[in-house]
Order: sequence, then C-alpha cells, then structure tokens
Amino acid sequence: MGTKRRIAFVAPRFLLGKSVGGAETLLRRLAEHLATHDYDVDFLTTCAQDHFTWANAIEPGTRRVGPLNVYFFPVDEDRNKDSFLAIQDRICHGAVISREEELEWHRNNINSKPLYDYLRKAGKDYHRIIMGPYLFGLIYSACLIQPDRTWLLPCLHDEPFARLTTIREMFHTVAGCLFNALPERDLAVRLYDITDKPAHIVGLGIDDFTADAKAFRCLHKIESPFLIYSGRREPLKGTPLLLDYVNAFRQRTQIDLRLVLTGTGPIDPPPSLAPYVLDLGFVTETEKHNAMAAALAFCHPSVNESLSIVLLEAWLAGTPALVHAGGEVMPYHCRLANGGFWFRNYPEFEEFTMLLIAQPDMRRNLGVNGRQYVLRNYNWETIGQRLCVALT
Amino acid sequence: MNDASVTIGADGVDVGQIVEEIRKTVADKMQSGAYAGAQLARAERYNLVNLKKHENFFDVYMESLREAVSVDINDFEIRERRGCAALVLIPLKKVIWQLLKFYTYRMWSQQNQVNGLLLSAIEEVDRKYRVQLRTLEDRLAKLESRVGT
Repeated sequence: MGTKRRIAFVAPRFLLGKSVGGAETLLRRLAEHLATHDYDVDFLTTCAQDHFTWANAIEPGTRRVGPLNVYFFPVDEDRNKDSFLAIQDRICHGAVISREEELEWHRNNINSKPLYDYLRKAGKDYHRIIMGPYLFGLIYSACLIQPDRTWLLPCLHDEPFARLTTIREMFHTVAGCLFNALPERDLAVRLYDITDKPAHIVGLGIDDFTADAKAFRCLHKIESPFLIYSGRREPLKGTPLLLDYVNAFRQRTQIDLRLVLTGTGPIDPPPSLAPYVLDLGFVTETEKHNAMAAALAFCHPSVNESLSIVLLEAWLAGTPALVHAGGEVMPYHCRLANGGFWFRNYPEFEEFTMLLIAQPDMRRNLGVNGRQYVLRNYNWETIGQRLCVALT
Repeated sequence: MNDASVTIGADGVDVGQIVEEIRKTVADKMQSGAYAGAQLARAERYNLVNLKKHENFFDVYMESLREAVSVDINDFEIRERRGCAALVLIPLKKVIWQLLKFYTYRMWSQQNQVNGLLLSAIEEVDRKYRVQLRTLEDRLAKLESRVGT
C-alpha cells in the first residue's frame, strides 16, 4: 500500500472550544472526514479565536486535534485597521475603488506571514491545498503561493466584495473550486466567467440524529407554535427582520406565535415582542435539535448563504423551512427538497406561516421531504465520494 | 457541469406551486388594502434592500419612508436587563436621557423638518413623472393606432 496523500486545509480560524460559523465548520468537518479516509490532513490556521478582535489567543505551533494536525500561525499585528475599515466601508457602499486600494484592503485584512512562509516552503509536499472562505486577506494571499495545487472553497455570496477585481483574479488563479451548491457555482460563473475552470459541487455531510420535540416543549413550557432560528444573530443574517416580522405577525393575527433563538450575538426585540422570544444562546447539539423538532418551522431570513448547515439540520429534525427568497441557495434547496417555502416580503411570510399553522399534515409532509432530501444528498458517503472525485 | 448528483424529493406537495398560489393571494389582498398600514411598513424596514428587485418596490418604499420620516424624539420606556442593578441604573439612565433630550431636541426637530421636505419633494417628483409617463403612453397609443389604420 502506498503512502497517504497529503492534503492541507487553510482557514482563518480553527476554534479549540465551541465552534460557530458555517464556513469554519464546513472546512473543519471536510478535513476531519478526509483524515479518517486515507488522507494525511494538515489544517493551517491562525492563532486567533475571536473574529472581532483577531487577537493571537493561543500559542503558535502544531497540535493534534482529533484526526488533524493543526498548525497555528500568529496573525500579523502590523495591520492598519483604520485604512482597512475605510476601504471596506467604501466597498460596502458600492464605491468604485482602484486595484491598488483593493490590494491595500487585502494587506490590512487578516494576514499571517509565517503561514505564507510555511506554504512557500512546504506547499509542494501537498497533493491539494483547500482554502476558504474567499473574502479574507489570508486566503487571498495564500491562494497566490501554490496556485497550481490550490482549490478554493469560497462560500461565495452575491455581495460587493465578490465584485472586486482582485477577487476575480483569485478565482482565475487557483487550480479549481469546490462549491456548496449549484447556485453558488452559477454565481461564480456569472461573476468571473470561470467556465473553463474545474469546479465540483461538494457540500457537507450531516450525521443523522433523533430529536425529542416533547422534551423541549416540557423543559421550556412552550405550548404555542414557534419559529426557530439558529446561528449568528446579526443584521447580515437577517435576524432584526425576523424579529420585526414575528412582532407584526402577532399584532396583526392575534395568534400566539413565539420565536426561539439559539446561537450567539445580541438581539434587540421590540418591547411588545420581548416576552415571547426565548433566547437560548449557545446550546448543546441535542438541545438545538430538540428545539428544531418542536418548532412550527425553521426560519432563515438571511440572503447571504452558500449552504446553510442549520437548514439541513432542521430538515433532519423533520421541520419544514421558511426562508428568504432574496438568497439563491436556500430557496433552491427548498424547491428541490419540497421541504419549505420562500418569502419575499412580510405579507408572504404571514401567509406561509398561517398555512403551516392551519395545515399540520402538510407541515409534516414538508418536514419528511426535507429529511429525505438531507439523508439522500448530504450523507457522508455521498459527500465523501464527491470530495474524492474532486481531489483526484 | 450540472448538479445531477442531487436527488429531488417530491412526495405529496409541490412547494413551487404553493409559493405561486400564495403570491397570487398576496397580490389580490394587497390590492384590496389588506396589507396596508404603518405596521407593515415598519416590519419591512430591514427588507428594503431586497424589495428593490420587485416591481412594486417604489410604492412599498414610499410607504416605509412615510412611516420612518419622522425621527421619534419622544420619551420611551427605559429598561435595564441586569435586575440587581436596575434600582440604580434606571434613574441614572433617565437623567442622562433628559439631558440628551434637552440638548438634542432642537437638532432633531430640524432634522424632522428636513426629512418631511425631502419626502414631499420625492412625492412631487414621482407624481410629475407618473403624469408625464401617462401622457407619453397615451400619445404612443394614439400614434400606434394611427399607423395601424
């Protein structure tokens, strides 16, 4: 038997404690899967643990974390944060910026020169180097070091950063791309015209679980129907919109609809809604799955998703989805799975919610369809095969 | 390359069809005025950027603008999450708020005035262009019918 093929993953963070953030979870789980299937996997990352401060929180060096060899490199501390934020602000507001300004933005983003040095020295020892998500300076610079063996796992969204000239160049420089879903690939083709570039749609395997809806309802004494949202709570994820919608729904319909939230980040519900919001914060996987199973629907109001692991988990819990139509990936999944609806505005949100409340049989069928969809398409065997084909 | 590896589940329901039916229902209800009102405009304040893509965006946007045009400078309920500190912090916050209100009232009143004027100007521009468009459409229809005959 020959030696194992060496694969490196590169991501801006690798959390030693509880893991949040879809892209990080995605890269880590794919790496772990390969490491247990005849690959020798190194995970290259920074010493940062907090995505607000990016402070070097842990000692540089190599550690064995589960099946992975994790290399922690310090984040460069010479970044000009003011310049970074000033340019970023202009990008967000749609201003036209020069290539030089884009490069300055990358330079003052999160970077790690020791990590780049390592890739320069040892990069050729790896059969493939998989890195993402696309919008970090670390990934932009790392992509340029061993482009012939680098595959980008971009987690691409339709946002102003995706339209930068340097980002376009990055997609053209790498050897290939791994996408999470077809709409993400289509977006990349639309933005960068990369039809000649090898591209594979992989996604992520989700382990099946059983969930206990009754246990959740008993524990939290909730009899009323409720929507659930899991993940980071921030404007980019659409959580303020969800709070406003549930508040308007309660006031207009007089139905006692509740909202359950899990995950991290502050929320600021309108005073009239606050008593009907159950904010559980960071919970165990079991508790999250039980909550999902007990919910009327899993509601994801974000338009910036490239996969949405929590949507797949909610379906595995047998719960239908109610997602924002503005994104491309989640409505795509809902349509394929026959497992949920997509709303464009409040009136549609209200009608779909009313429908789910009024027709429990249909609600159940949607949940069953969603679960079948995940079991068929997002089991590790299928994902592993797609990943191996991509790495061949 | 396509996504042929994804298997489609289609048991019992057709969500695409239901979404279309609901959209039709919503359009009818909107026409009948079932979804009018400040409450809805307020609910859409975080959704305006997504509504831009829709045909009726301008009407919804104007309704939201009318709702939001006036900055709320009235008193509001002051709360404190940390129960143990509430006895001290709530009166303190109230004093700070009164001071802030005293110093900023004039500025916010002027801002409300400016916002109101801007809204009126946009409404007038909209009205003017609608009239012009209608006139042009009528002229075009007349010309087309003349060419047809």
